[in-house]
Amino acid sequence: MSGMPSAPALGQVGRLRSLADFYVTTMRTEIQTQFQYRAATYMYLLGMVAEPVIYLVVWSTIADSAGGEVNGLTAGDFAAYYIVWTLVRTMNIVFTPYGWEWRIRNGELSGQLLRPLHPIHYDVAQFAGGKIPWLFYYLPIAVVLTLVFEPTFDVRPAEIVVFAVAIWGAYLIRTFNQTALGLVCFWTTRVGALFSLYIVLELLLSGRLVPLTLMPDWVQTVAWFLPFRWTFYFPIETLVGDLTNAELLAGLGMQLFWTLVGIGLFSLVWRFAIRRYTAVGN
Amino acid sequence: MRGRPVGPDPVVWVDRLEKVFDVPERDEGLRAATKSLVRRKTREVRAVDGISFEIAPGEIVGFLGPNGAGKTTTLKMLSGLLYVSGGEARVLGHVPSRRERAFLRRISLVMGNRNQLQWDLPALDSFELNRSIYQIPRADFLALRDELIELLEVGDLVRKPVRQLSLGERMKVEIVGSLLHRPQVLFLDEPTIGLDVTMQKRIREFIAAYRRRHDATVMLTSHYMADVEALCERVIVIHHGKILFDGDLAALADTVAAWKTIAVVLQNGAGDLSSYGEVIHRDGDLVTLRVAKAETARVTARLLAEQEVLDLNVEDPPIEDVIELVFAQQATQ
Amino acid sequence: MTTLRVALLHLRVGVMNDLQYRVNFALQVLQSILAVGVGLIVFQLVFSHTTDLNGWTHSELLAILGVQAVMAGVVHAVIQPNMMRLSEEVQDGKLDHALTKPVDAQMLISVRQVQLWQAVDIPIGAVIIGFALARLGGNVGVLDALAFAAALAFGAVLLYCFWLVLATGSFWVVRMWFLPELFEGIFQTGRFPVGIYPDWLRFGITFLVPIAFAITVPAEAVTSRLEWQTLLFAALFTVAAFVFSRWFWRFGLRHYTGASA
Repeated sequence: MSGMPSAPALGQVGRLRSLADFYVTTMRTEIQTQFQYRAATYMYLLGMVAEPVIYLVVWSTIADSAGGEVNGLTAGDFAAYYIVWTLVRTMNIVFTPYGWEWRIRNGELSGQLLRPLHPIHYDVAQFAGGKIPWLFYYLPIAVVLTLVFEPTFDVRPAEIVVFAVAIWGAYLIRTFNQTALGLVCFWTTRVGALFSLYIVLELLLSGRLVPLTLMPDWVQTVAWFLPFRWTFYFPIETLVGDLTNAELLAGLGMQLFWTLVGIGLFSLVWRFAIRRYTAVGN
Repeated sequence: MRGRPVGPDPVVWVDRLEKVFDVPERDEGLRAATKSLVRRKTREVRAVDGISFEIAPGEIVGFLGPNGAGKTTTLKMLSGLLYVSGGEARVLGHVPSRRERAFLRRISLVMGNRNQLQWDLPALDSFELNRSIYQIPRADFLALRDELIELLEVGDLVRKPVRQLSLGERMKVEIVGSLLHRPQVLFLDEPTIGLDVTMQKRIREFIAAYRRRHDATVMLTSHYMADVEALCERVIVIHHGKILFDGDLAALADTVAAWKTIAVVLQNGAGDLSSYGEVIHRDGDLVTLRVAKAETARVTARLLAEQEVLDLNVEDPPIEDVIELVFAQQATQ
Repeated sequence: MTTLRVALLHLRVGVMNDLQYRVNFALQVLQSILAVGVGLIVFQLVFSHTTDLNGWTHSELLAILGVQAVMAGVVHAVIQPNMMRLSEEVQDGKLDHALTKPVDAQMLISVRQVQLWQAVDIPIGAVIIGFALARLGGNVGVLDALAFAAALAFGAVLLYCFWLVLATGSFWVVRMWFLPELFEGIFQTGRFPVGIYPDWLRFGITFLVPIAFAITVPAEAVTSRLEWQTLLFAALFTVAAFVFSRWFWRFGLRHYTGASA
């Protein structure tokens, strides 16, 4: 008789349980892998920190020379904004379209397509696992930045709770946005151009470059209708700004909305992408 | 004309399968490089050109052919990685390109010198990942894992990071990882490529043992005749995307394994060596002879005694010669 | 001169290689323009809230942006590809190919790789500098122009020495994949005059990572703010850095080939 097949088909609950099992296993594996790269990751994070520190210094300089504040933000406020920025940034670094290009070219995607599990689960789980050691690496950096730049903070417990959720929301939105972009790699090698445009839009409209309140009014209006502000500005704002509980919850709701939009867009394009890939293969 | 298959349902059923690629072309040099910035030329390549065959449950079939013959392309179509250009394929009743979850859980594709395990971690951790991907019940998983580790003798390798293993060791742990979900169909693409002779033997023995124990169906591609000889009862010879021979290995072996080639380098040029065997190639001082297998020892001894030999090599005829001979045989039929 | 000929041969092959990837050119132009665009927007924002930054006006800051673009082009097109290749070859053990050639190893590993399209930043940077000078009144004296050229040369050599020292570190610390990211981050500090940074940072980006000499000093030259003492110091520092980096390279090489412990 032919060999016994592996696990029998599971019901919905069983499926969910094994998916959870997969996530836990992958995250655990990723933590182990990341542990081997502590030094290199540290260097990488230090390079990342340079970006906000520059802007922090620039705006503090302006604030100091303009009588203490710019648009109501003092040097201490800028310090707080950009320091929280670094934590949000650590959390929202995700698999880039360049990664998809590499994965397609070197055959890793073929290996993933042989498995009875959608590759996206692996990406989400893997990076989520990686965040945990990264958060530990980040702590000393945060301490140093706080000592050097003296931010002004005024946080409520509710804000901390919402923040802890919002950083994962930022992670998910950026994951699905960039994965959807990455799918373009299935049709062209020119994804770099699109990705550059995406990054520029994000820089200007997400609060990554400057707090959104410093941008002209029309830019702020446009930013409301795009997912970017929910990946940087909103999480930062929960800790640094003065949002009411209602506004905090509404923000989380918007993050959920944009995550679902991202998932929808990605799922739609994926089907076409796979058909395209299996026409040519690697 | 092929209709529905008769007899017990075949595990693999292929009917006039085709795969066509559009490949870009370019001449060499700086000028052509700049020209190609503007205009792209492509040509059509028929990697698989209308092949048909069936594989019954429990069979172990060798797919033999030179590089570029269409072997890997066929395997990729059968495992769902490539869309079919023409014709049909069924594996375990599924259409592979639909990549249904139930289908993927019953097959396995192992590609020589391609890694599917985590590079930086011990293989054991990758096995754990596979367990969760294929939803293998823990008890089954542990039992099979330990059995495979023992069969392949990789007990002390599975705790080392995969990147620290040699090519052959990596291949062995890859194979373990690919079998943990007890696939019914095993596709092996050049599994022994780049490995030394001992390792090749070891892996062949393992595949035979695994198939016996777990009743799997195996489809194996190679350009080494030795792989196929050691493992397969049936062999399909493919060249330029077409099947040249599909049948008993013994029949093919009779034609081909009856010969050996002797490559000899002589001290003072080459005189007339036709008395030793059929001269099939001559390149300065290097002469290649084809002799009957039974004669090999005697001809070698004569050469060494009667000629001034600088170097001598006895080899199985290369796969290209096999193809030639199959062609010749078909032509005379 | 054989060394130079071999180097140029490698360069030609590198260029031919690059021409295969027609995507790269358009993409690079786009990315450069976007980067510049973002820089201009930042300046716009900054100067909507103040009239000068640490003594630099808007137009003078544009000059800095231009110089930074030029230097970015030099680093990404010529310096970084060679140094990253060196680092990778140390890791893969392929460096031996370069070491067995009958030419000076440092010369060979420094010029054989090129990413032509990255050089697009250089003309773009030049345009921005020209634009900045136009806004400042247009006149650049001969002395200023010479000082500018010299400062650029010193800056480029210093960046090369810096990268060489880092890449030589690969002989001891093998995995350096994070280098481009790390450098990019620090390099961005050069968009603004180094005077705005806190003392410890300013020290770091002057003497440890030669940002100040590579960007601020040439910008000062072209905007007629440069003092001759600074230029002299830059020259001396460049010579010292070159001597040190060559010594360090040979030290690392001896370690690699096992000639010394």
